[in-house]
Amino acid sequence: MSAIPAELLHIIIGLVAVAASVGLIGLVMVWVERKVAGHIQRRPGPYEVGPSGVLQPLCDALKLVGKQLFMPTGADPILFWLAPVLAFLPVLLLFLPLPVGDGLMALDVNLGLLLILAFSGLAVLSVLLAGWASNNKYGLLGAARAVAQSVAYEIPLLLSVLAVSFVAGSLDLAQVVKGQGTWPWNWNIMTQPLAFIIYFVSALGETNRAPFDLPEAESELTAGFHTEYSGMGFGMFFLAEYANMVVVCSVATALFLGGWHGPVLPGPLWFVLKVSALMLLMVFARWTYPRVRFDQLLVINWKWLLPLAVANLLLTAFFVKLAQFA
Amino acid sequence: MTTNPIIDHLAGDFYTQNFAKTAGEGNLILNLGPQHPSTHGVLRVVVELDGEYIMRAEPVLGYLHRMHEKMAEVKTAAQFIPNMGRVDYGHALGWNWAFVGAAEKVGGIEVPERAEYIRVITCELNRIASHLLWWGAYLLDLGAFTPIMYAFDDREKILDILQIPTGSRLTYSYFRIGGVAQDLNAECIRLIQEFIPWFRARLPMYKDLVSDNIILRKRIENIGVIEQETCRRFGATGPVARGSGINYDVRRAVPYSVYPKLDFEVPTSDLKCARGRYDVRMIEMEQSLRIIEQALEMMPEGEILIKGAPKPSWKVPKGEGYFAVEGARGKIGAYVVSDGGKNIYRTKLRAPGFCNLSLFAEVSKGTILADAVAILGSLDLIIPEIDR
Amino acid sequence: MEALFTGLGALYLAKCDAAKTGQAFQAFLPAGSLVRAAERLLKANYYIEDICAVDCVEGFIVVYHFDHFEAPGRLTLRVLAPHAAPTLPSIANIFDGAEWHERETRDFHGVVFEGNPNLIPLLIDPEMADCFPLRKEEKARAKAKDMLEAGEVIYCHPSFTLMTPDAPAEVKESSGDQPATA
Repeated sequence: MSAIPAELLHIIIGLVAVAASVGLIGLVMVWVERKVAGHIQRRPGPYEVGPSGVLQPLCDALKLVGKQLFMPTGADPILFWLAPVLAFLPVLLLFLPLPVGDGLMALDVNLGLLLILAFSGLAVLSVLLAGWASNNKYGLLGAARAVAQSVAYEIPLLLSVLAVSFVAGSLDLAQVVKGQGTWPWNWNIMTQPLAFIIYFVSALGETNRAPFDLPEAESELTAGFHTEYSGMGFGMFFLAEYANMVVVCSVATALFLGGWHGPVLPGPLWFVLKVSALMLLMVFARWTYPRVRFDQLLVINWKWLLPLAVANLLLTAFFVKLAQFA
Repeated sequence: MTTNPIIDHLAGDFYTQNFAKTAGEGNLILNLGPQHPSTHGVLRVVVELDGEYIMRAEPVLGYLHRMHEKMAEVKTAAQFIPNMGRVDYGHALGWNWAFVGAAEKVGGIEVPERAEYIRVITCELNRIASHLLWWGAYLLDLGAFTPIMYAFDDREKILDILQIPTGSRLTYSYFRIGGVAQDLNAECIRLIQEFIPWFRARLPMYKDLVSDNIILRKRIENIGVIEQETCRRFGATGPVARGSGINYDVRRAVPYSVYPKLDFEVPTSDLKCARGRYDVRMIEMEQSLRIIEQALEMMPEGEILIKGAPKPSWKVPKGEGYFAVEGARGKIGAYVVSDGGKNIYRTKLRAPGFCNLSLFAEVSKGTILADAVAILGSLDLIIPEIDR
Repeated sequence: MEALFTGLGALYLAKCDAAKTGQAFQAFLPAGSLVRAAERLLKANYYIEDICAVDCVEGFIVVYHFDHFEAPGRLTLRVLAPHAAPTLPSIANIFDGAEWHERETRDFHGVVFEGNPNLIPLLIDPEMADCFPLRKEEKARAKAKDMLEAGEVIYCHPSFTLMTPDAPAEVKESSGDQPATA
């Protein structure tokens, strides 16, 4: 056996770790979401299976895996089954450049942010394929809405991320994190608060989370683009949604909340804690607010987030240039 | 009709095909319902969509039609009262009252005063429960998953209270011709007296967290504007009419029972949109609490069923009578025509939801699909009442 | 309220005992005057409450109930439709809510409303649209005057025998006399 290059080994281990953690995250997040939803609604949530219901997601996963996979009449078989796969696989790629600890990342590339932003665009394609291939009017409407929404919210997301990389001088996530300090007043959120807000709202829009979850609007479109999916097809969309949430929160942590920096505790633990806090915020938002109507959703993006993001970017660029002269 | 059964099947059923006859070129015809996550009941609306805009809408009824009016013709008056509990499960006591009142009018039967007060108290409690169900379900339609849980928490208390005298939790057949079936015992009165301040303290929380929420306001303000003229042409009553500024409440317009002695406000709103109807119902819950408080204080001791009240085999004397009450959804009417025979000759049940829903086709023209859901929710529909 | 019906050829006008019957005023009209009466009622700001039919010996008596938001007082219009060919003009173009009430009356009794924009079955399944569940057997029908309230008669057309033919009705000169079509 010839020597396996260290780089390749590094990536393989990273991929395996990512795949494992995505599965684990899915299980944990399902439990967290249902428990938090329950307590917000003054009920216990799952409590039967396992202590405090922790085995519930496992049972749900087993149920989903065991279901019959069928396709509606008239649906396009290739596109129909491609859609959930396309929703899920690229997400694994998005985890690679995330700096979990000092020097701890699956792929050390100096264009990490660009990689993430580029591949998260594939999610839009999967949603469109799902709605189109379902041969279902509800699915089609849901897909059309999802595409418009995702495409719209990508832009302020991009612009707010750019502002931070202007300050850090690099698109490499590891660099951005290194540029921040141990304590909260040294984090980028202090220098870029507006960018953080814009980023978080755009993230809710990108991941189709409430209050921007119109593509899956249950009461209007009977589940929108994934109406016709059951069993593992639905499971993949579900997993992909949670994985996307984690990616988006991790990027936010790396960019704004100091990544793995923090006193006393080891780096990766701080990273996990910060990501969890942001995820919890997203879950809270879902169970508290009603849904925003579709045209209002687009108005928020085009009339508010976009101009604010552009203004923020220009201001940042101005001050960075000024600092260079000083 | 083609010779290919699959294509025929894809063309839709009788109502879709009838609707599609006058459809525009390139417009999508979609069926909302009859199975639908929106918890109104089994309602089907055929819409013609141009993108997201509704060009035409037509509600299709009959999925829950049980022909109550025919049942009235094969049952005696007393045997028909349980039917009235099933017509509208939201405000069953209102329907109880409408029918029993009509029979009492034709039969010339008086109701003792204590029974009148009990009727008022239970009916108003039922009204609060109905509005809570409406509120929770409306917000669920709009995507907020939590308020319905809180609403059902409150409803649970009311259902426990009403279970004591009536024996049922939802489909009450509690009123009798000449009074009510059972008295309110001390336990029941104690529970009501505990409920009133507890619920009064909950309403401000609902206002702060939900009613004043910007996302909700953007979803229901200026949506589904109904003019007063429209209400007249369609016969819309209740919060739908009051939300458009018409100050009409059967309890004040054609006072019945002991309502003239009770002091309460009839909320109206000049907003004419879904927000107006929403506000009217929220204030009505508070006013119902006031009514219950006063009624509890003023309730005299006495009989709950008139002496010589009709037995189950009682025949309604010859004549006709129409009695209307103010239900949670509007004016509930029962028109009874009798020829003195064993069964009532003709019973017409006037459902407020029937008239309220009929204006949906006109109001939803040109709106977005998402708004159609908001408008339907603001009309507070209970389909069993509409279909009877 | 009787002022609303001058010149329409009303067959029978009477004040009712509102406390006993819930109705303040009733008017029997010939089928031809129905639409004009509806127009007048809409202009007078009445709203449509409901429409129903009662199957009597003499025919289908279609009962229209109207009420008023500002001046409450139920107004009842009655029109007779013969059993053999029960057809009436529709008022759905004036009171839009009547469209559904008329469709329901067609479902239950088979009364056809000409001019209704959408006279397809409303509550009954289209496949059994002609079952007319509320039609009565011949021997089960009763006479109108045995059930409907005569009230305090204001005017009764000489050939109108549906209500109380032997009541001392005040036969007023109605402006625009039209032969009875009862």
